[in-house]
Amino acid sequence: MFDEEVYRKLFVEESRENHENIVNNLLALESGEDQQAAIDEIFRSAHTLKGMSASMGFDAMEHLCHSMEDVFSLVRNGQREVTAALTDLLLTCTDVIEEMLDAIEAGETPSDERSGSLVQELRAFAEEGNPDEPSAPAEEKPAVPPAEAGGRPVYRLSVAVDPACTMKDVRAMLLLQNLEEFGAILSTTPSRDLIEDGKFDGTFEILIESEAGEDALRTVASGPEISLLALAPSSSLETAAAVEAAPVPEPAPVREPEPPQVQRAARAEKNREIKNIRVDIQRLDRMMNLVEDLVINRGRLELIAKKHGIKEFDEALNMVGRSVSDLQNLMMGIRMMPLERIFNRLPRVVRDVANHDCKEVELTIEGGETELDRSMMDGLSDPLLHIIRNAVNHGIETPEIREAAGKPRKGTLRLSARRDKDNVIIEIEDDGAGIDPEKLRRKAVEKGLMTAETAAAATRDDLINLLFEPGFSTAETITDISGRGVGLDVVKKTIESLKGTIKVETRIGAGTKFELVLPPTMAIIDVMMVHINGMRCAIPISNVVEVAQTRAEAVHRIGNSEAILLRDQILPMHRLEDMFGRAPKSDTLVVLQNNGKRCCIVVDTVDGQQEVVVKPLSRLAGNCRGISGITIPGDGDVVPVLDVNTMI
Amino acid sequence: MGRILIVDDTMFMRTLLKNILFSGGHDIVGEAADGAEAVARYQELKPDLVTMDVVMPKVNGIEALKAIKAADPSAKVIMCTAVGQEQMVKLAVKSGARGYIVKPFQAPKVLEEVKNVLSA
Repeated sequence: MFDEEVYRKLFVEESRENHENIVNNLLALESGEDQQAAIDEIFRSAHTLKGMSASMGFDAMEHLCHSMEDVFSLVRNGQREVTAALTDLLLTCTDVIEEMLDAIEAGETPSDERSGSLVQELRAFAEEGNPDEPSAPAEEKPAVPPAEAGGRPVYRLSVAVDPACTMKDVRAMLLLQNLEEFGAILSTTPSRDLIEDGKFDGTFEILIESEAGEDALRTVASGPEISLLALAPSSSLETAAAVEAAPVPEPAPVREPEPPQVQRAARAEKNREIKNIRVDIQRLDRMMNLVEDLVINRGRLELIAKKHGIKEFDEALNMVGRSVSDLQNLMMGIRMMPLERIFNRLPRVVRDVANHDCKEVELTIEGGETELDRSMMDGLSDPLLHIIRNAVNHGIETPEIREAAGKPRKGTLRLSARRDKDNVIIEIEDDGAGIDPEKLRRKAVEKGLMTAETAAAATRDDLINLLFEPGFSTAETITDISGRGVGLDVVKKTIESLKGTIKVETRIGAGTKFELVLPPTMAIIDVMMVHINGMRCAIPISNVVEVAQTRAEAVHRIGNSEAILLRDQILPMHRLEDMFGRAPKSDTLVVLQNNGKRCCIVVDTVDGQQEVVVKPLSRLAGNCRGISGITIPGDGDVVPVLDVNTMI
Repeated sequence: MGRILIVDDTMFMRTLLKNILFSGGHDIVGEAADGAEAVARYQELKPDLVTMDVVMPKVNGIEALKAIKAADPSAKVIMCTAVGQEQMVKLAVKSGARGYIVKPFQAPKVLEEVKNVLSA
């Protein structure tokens, strides 16, 4: 059903926000920040989750959230303390909720397989030791209006509340309150206090003095979940007794002054309209695809215009071109998301790993507002998680070792993000033990990755780069935290698939820093179009340093490869013959750079610069070394995009 | 049929309620995501009826109800509540709420309650 799909999506999205809120506030509680605010937030989110899951019929989730809410309601009233054991239990609950949300997102209905025992534990915690009932808040006695002397008719009503009614006490209270607008209630059986506490068997009687007439009373007394069993004028004797028994009226309650914060907030929000809407990401993706098509077709039109040279057409095309560019920029902007989205999950990870390893770690996060295209977000999450886990697990030492080394007991882990020109830079830096290159050297030989001779000759950088080799791990033992069969090699591959780079700096005893450099978006880029051996290919402009002419005598052979001396710099020179075949002689060079390193390639001609849409290679084509994707410029040709990363 | 303002901190609940009320022929004139916004929207829109969630961030449903009733004693507010909140709802009724609906919402019950409060 369409509706249900819509609800499900909304449900998952908002539930995730609430889930995250619970986790973050649990962590805030533990770190001793504003306790009351955190407790209130957790209670509120658990309550919201309960209500939403009940509405969707996800019983298992509802029960779990309900139990969490119950526990927090006790905490809020000061009847329970938040202990470390409770935090652990609640965090486990949030894990299960997250799993449930994943299942729901996949179209399933979560079972209580895992949540059942948690509900039991939460209940046990709520009941444990402290049997004093949550004292019901002292309720002020409702003011009973005075039974007016004289003249008005009195009626006896007999009323039943629907047995299926939830909160029959509230239902009864509403009825009494509504009746009061039509007259004075002289008495009720059982007493009004008992009725409002729910201490009645579903039916009760009311004696009311009213001039509204039988019909009006009949209407009021037969609302939702209420049925009127009998209504009749009452005898005067009965009335007299009731009036006598009626409690002395209290003075009319002074109206509570409006809480000042409400007034302030009300003013501030007066002009607020709904300015944000939520859009399904798939629709954004489809829109993006359409924009990409537009970009491709604009290129085609430009070619046609060039061929025919019609002035008017050129002008119109210019206008269209500008609109397409604007549209494209706008779309890119809309797809951007703050990195917070993935950063927010990390404090929890740090806490868990630190607890597991008995380490003390303080995590600071900076630049969470830095934006990245959402398609990159998914891919970035796992690598970040892995690096963060590694940092706590392998980087930061235990408090004892740190103290012995003259460092503070608590290690610091800094995660920061910033925008730098065309890139987003994410750094993960710890002040732990650092990585010992000598250890890497030994390990490389042990693992057979290097011969003893090459290892002995390897530079520090070579050794550090070993970290990114498959099957290389410096940990003495595989732990269940870092050693999940995923190594830094996978991290590196993932980052490269996002067109990013990863770098590590380390100093023994001082710590390790990972630096990820990522393009903020990967779909549309500026490229330089060149011909190599008569074939067209595109080079991302961000990798191009310059185009140069060379003379044959400037080319030097070094071993098997060639190099060129250009402006006092020796650059490796590649002819890309294995990709494009042997080319006729050419003296045009394109100097490329990546990650601070340079090289150059020989091309026939440089055709110019163009904005193109890069499409990933089909899964059938697999990973093709040297090619990062393909693009379709206006003429309908399929052109490979060079992956400069693999050349340097 | 009435002009209704829906107050709830989740879009999920607002959408659910909106569709129920819409199916009953009501006109949803506005939505608010917290108590403060509810008070502002009420002043601005003067709806016939407000459905008010109890537990919300910043300003909760009870405080918003009180503020609305203080500005307009004839305001008709229905509380949206869940099992376990009897005390809160009683407080709301004492502060002038005219009715309540319980989550998970059942369309017929919601519509009956709304109709009843509107006709009173």
